[in-house]
Amino acid sequence: MIQFNIEASSGIPIYKQVFEQVERMINNAYLVEGTFLPSVRQVANAIDVNPMTISKAYGLLEERGYLTRLRGKGMMVAHQTEERSKKEKMMILDKMITELVSGAMQMGINKQELMTLIAEKVEKQDSADNINSQG
Amino acid sequence: MTTSINISKLSKSYKKQQVLTELDWSIQQGDVIGLLGKNGAGKSTLISAILNINPADSGSVSLLGEDNKTLSSQTKAKIGYVPQINDEITWLTVKELILFKKQFYCHWNDSKVEELISRWEIDTHKKMSELSVGQGQRVLIILALAHDPDLMIFDEPAAALDPAGRRDFLKEIVNLAAEENKTIIFSTHITSDLERVANKVAILHQGKICHFDDLDNVKESVVKVSVISDQANNITIPHAINTNQNSQRVNGVVTQVDLQWKKALENQGHQVDITPMSLEDIFLELTA
Repeated sequence: MIQFNIEASSGIPIYKQVFEQVERMINNAYLVEGTFLPSVRQVANAIDVNPMTISKAYGLLEERGYLTRLRGKGMMVAHQTEERSKKEKMMILDKMITELVSGAMQMGINKQELMTLIAEKVEKQDSADNINSQG
Repeated sequence: MTTSINISKLSKSYKKQQVLTELDWSIQQGDVIGLLGKNGAGKSTLISAILNINPADSGSVSLLGEDNKTLSSQTKAKIGYVPQINDEITWLTVKELILFKKQFYCHWNDSKVEELISRWEIDTHKKMSELSVGQGQRVLIILALAHDPDLMIFDEPAAALDPAGRRDFLKEIVNLAAEENKTIIFSTHITSDLERVANKVAILHQGKICHFDDLDNVKESVVKVSVISDQANNITIPHAINTNQNSQRVNGVVTQVDLQWKKALENQGHQVDITPMSLEDIFLELTA
């Protein structure tokens, strides 16, 4: 069964933690189309949380098109269209960049320095990927 | 949605001390509610007034559609209650006590009783007076669950339990919650007890339920807001319950984020950060 890592005392509601973890598993193809998720009851019991919390997370995942509800069978990972997953990836990336930028600003790094740092990283990653693909 | 409990203008005082002040509260069937309050906030007073064990001075309470002063025996049989203090007959053995209690109910779930006794390793040959506080509390919980009630009220149920016992008891609540239509209220001053199982949280403060909402909503709406700006002194955060500011930043805890306000500030070039808070911090802020 898939493992959830829940922090009950964090400020993030538990349903959101479950939602984000499933979202991530689908986006990085750990969960592929057609995979069945454990039932609400199974998850609730495994992580000791209220079943309504899991229903809420699953409901939201269905609404956003990640899961499809099959009557009597449970929740299945839905087909992820190319452009949709691209859009989701951009949304996640946007969040990460926002955090990075505000972190850098707080440390007093200026715009130019930050841009240079990012450009260097991209360059480095790019050449590493090239070597890997050749080897 | 049916209403399980409806409380209207409930007041109660002890001598000169006012504990409950015209308290209004309505609870829907199927809710699992954590009732939070500081020590002495009146959680036990409220619970015993709801059940009419220690009647209120004024106001009214309806339980499962009936006035709590004139409950029918059918309705009483649908309610389970665990008091904070073990007031069961002490000279009976656990086994005798269970058999004694069983006679009062038309319906009694023997297999659930058996299961919990073995899971919680309770020696049924011991007298109630010989049990440890934690074991005694477990027996009370078993007695409260044995007749499969629709409405369960627990007063500090986990107070005397060790961490494993707490977790196990909470798990039992989770199982009960899974059977829809069961209404559960449990009081606690330990926020981590309710974070996993409650879907709603109620905060009792200064004689009233000052906050009652979905746990998720509480966590999403009560957050820390900070604005970093060289004009921080002139900025007021809307819906803030607690703020502090200096020349560069203003911090506050809000009960609701005003997104339009946030956007407007950001458009003016100010940085607005929103940080979620743990339920414990939220509780402390709301009852400060």
